[in-house]
Amino acid sequence: MPIGKMLLRRVALVVPLLFVILLFTFLLVRISGQDPVGLLAGPTATDAEIALVRASLALDQPLWVQFGVYFGRVLQGDLGASWLSNRPVLGEIVERAPATIELMGWGVLIGAGLGIPIGLRAASRPDRSFDQVSRFLSLLGFSVPTYWLGLIMLFVFFYLLDWAPPGMGRLNLMLDPPPFFTGSYLIDGLIAADWEVANSAFRQLVLPVICVAIIAAAPIIKQTRAIALEVLGSDYIRYARAQGLPPREIRAMALRNSRTPVVTFIGTEITGLVGTTSLIEYVFAWGGLGQYGLSAIISGDFAAVQGYVLALALFSVIVFLAVDLFVMLTEPRAGIAA
Amino acid sequence: MSEAMVTAERGRLRWLRRLSGITRRSPTMAAGAAILLVFALMAVFAPWITPFDPEAANARNVLAAPGGAHVFGTDGNGMDVLSRVIAGAGWAFGIAIPAVIVGVLAGVPLGLYTGYRGGWFDEITMRFFDALRVFPSIILALAVVAAAGPSLFNVVLVIGFLDSPVFARVVRAEVLALRHSTFVEAARAAGNPTWRILFVHILPNAIQGAMAQTAVRAAWAVRISATLAFLGVGIQPPTPEWGAMIRQGAEYLVTGQWWVGVFPGIALILMVLGLNMLGDGLQDLLDPRRKAATR
Repeated sequence: MPIGKMLLRRVALVVPLLFVILLFTFLLVRISGQDPVGLLAGPTATDAEIALVRASLALDQPLWVQFGVYFGRVLQGDLGASWLSNRPVLGEIVERAPATIELMGWGVLIGAGLGIPIGLRAASRPDRSFDQVSRFLSLLGFSVPTYWLGLIMLFVFFYLLDWAPPGMGRLNLMLDPPPFFTGSYLIDGLIAADWEVANSAFRQLVLPVICVAIIAAAPIIKQTRAIALEVLGSDYIRYARAQGLPPREIRAMALRNSRTPVVTFIGTEITGLVGTTSLIEYVFAWGGLGQYGLSAIISGDFAAVQGYVLALALFSVIVFLAVDLFVMLTEPRAGIAA
Repeated sequence: MSEAMVTAERGRLRWLRRLSGITRRSPTMAAGAAILLVFALMAVFAPWITPFDPEAANARNVLAAPGGAHVFGTDGNGMDVLSRVIAGAGWAFGIAIPAVIVGVLAGVPLGLYTGYRGGWFDEITMRFFDALRVFPSIILALAVVAAAGPSLFNVVLVIGFLDSPVFARVVRAEVLALRHSTFVEAARAAGNPTWRILFVHILPNAIQGAMAQTAVRAAWAVRISATLAFLGVGIQPPTPEWGAMIRQGAEYLVTGQWWVGVFPGIALILMVLGLNMLGDGLQDLLDPRRKAATR
C-alpha cells in the first residue's frame, strides 16, 4: 500500500475514536442518575441559569438528539461554563495547558534521561546486582503514591531543610509572569533576560519535576530493559556477533531495531503520566490543567470535568497518532504489516 | 497409625520443598507474598491487635508525637495512628479483592466470547477498549466515581469495570490461539452448547494469563481507591483508610506533625509493593510469552 494512503487511513481512524470519546464524556454526567442540569449548572445556579442550561442541552428531546446537540456544541468549541469560576471551560483549558506541559515536559525528559541508561545498563548484565537493584527501584517507583511523594518532598525540602520554596504555583507571588513566548516560565524568563523570574520559576519547578521524573522513570527502566534484552537476544544480533562485526556496529543495529518499540512505549507512557502529573499539580498548587480538573472533580463542577476529560483524551489521541505516523514513516516493515 | 503420620510428614515435606523451590526461582515473588501475608494477618486480627479503637477521638490528646502509649502518635482528632494504620489493611483488601473479582467476572467471559465468536462483535469490543485507552485510568476512575457518587460500592464497581478490559484482552488472546485446536473442534462435534465449550473446555486452558494479572490489578485497585480517598472523593474520614489518612496528614506536614501522613503512606507503599512483587513473579511463572522475553 502506498505510504500516503496508509497515512490518510490512519488519520481517518481518529474520527470514530473522537465519536466514542465524546459519547463517553456525554454519558459521564448521566451515569449518576441525577439531573444532568443540576450537575452542570451547579448548586449555586439561579432558576434563570438552570433554564438556560436546560434549553441549551435539549433535554426535552430523546437521548440521541441530546447527544447530537452536545456533539455540535463541542465541535463549535463550546464546552459550557464552569459554575465555580463562571468562565467558559475552553478558555480556562487553553490558558492552563502551558503550565501542565512545562511540568510534564521537564519531568519526562529527566525521567527518560535517567531511566533509559539505567535500563540499558541493567540489560547488559541481566540478573547481576545492578540489575536486581534497578528492578527493585523500578518496582518501588510503581508503588509510591504520587501525591504522597509530593507531600514528603515538600516536608523534607521546604519545611525541614528550607531549600525549596513552598508548593504554591509556578512563580513567586511577588513576580509577574514573563511575556508569553513558549509558555514555559523558565524558558520565557531566560528569553526575556529576566533573571529573577527565571530563577524563581526554576526553584518552583525543581520539586514537582523530580516527582514526575521519579514516577516516569519506573516504567521506562522496566521497558528499556525488556526491549534491550529482546533485541540483544535476537538471532540477527547473534549472527552479527558471529560474523565478528565491531561492537559499535552491533550497537547501532540494536538501536535501530529498538526505535519502534521505544517510541510506541513512550507514547503510552506519556498519556498515562497525564494522570500522575495532575496529582502532582494538585499537591504543589501548580495552577495547570491537572489541578483545574481535579478541583473540578472534587467540587462536582461537571462542565469543567467534561472539558478536562475531553482535553486529556484529545491529548492522548494526538500522541498516539504522532507515534503511529512516526512508526509508519521510519519503519519499513509497517507497510507490509498493514 | 504411624504410617498415616509418615504420610502426613512426607506431605508436609513436599509442601515445604515446593515452597522453597518457588522462593529460589523467584525471590521477588516470595518477598511480595510475605509482605502480603503480614498485611493479611493485620487485617484479620485488627480488632485484637490494635492498641486503641481506631475511630476513638480524644480531644485532650491531639497530635501527640510518636512514642509512649501511642507508638505512631495521634492525629488531629486524637485518634491513635498505629491503630488506624493496622485497621487500614482491612479496607485496602476489602476494596482490592472485590474489585479484582468484579474485573475478572466481567472481563473473562467477555474475552472468552469475543475471542471465540470473532467477527464484528469482537471488532467493536476491541475498538471500544482501544478508545478507553486514551483516557488516563486514574482520571477516568476519579471522574466516574465522582459522577456516580462516592460510596464504597461505587468505588469497587468502577475500579472493577475499568480493570475488566485487561482481563478480557489476555483471555481473548489465549482463546484465539485455542479456537481451532482439536479438542475444541471435538467438543463442538460432540454437540456441546457454546457456553459449555467456552467455560468447560476453553476456560481452564485460557485462564493462566488472566490469573497472572490479578495481583498487579489488585495493586492498581489499592492505589486508585487510596487516591480517591486522598482527594476526598472516595471513602471519608474518620474511616481508617490510608488515602483518607494521608489527606488528613497533608495539612499537618507543613507544620511539622509528619507522623499523621507518613505512616499510612508507608503502609500503602509496602502493600502496593508487595502486590506488585507478587504480580511480577506470577507473570514470570504463568505467562509463557513473558518468560521467553525475560530469559
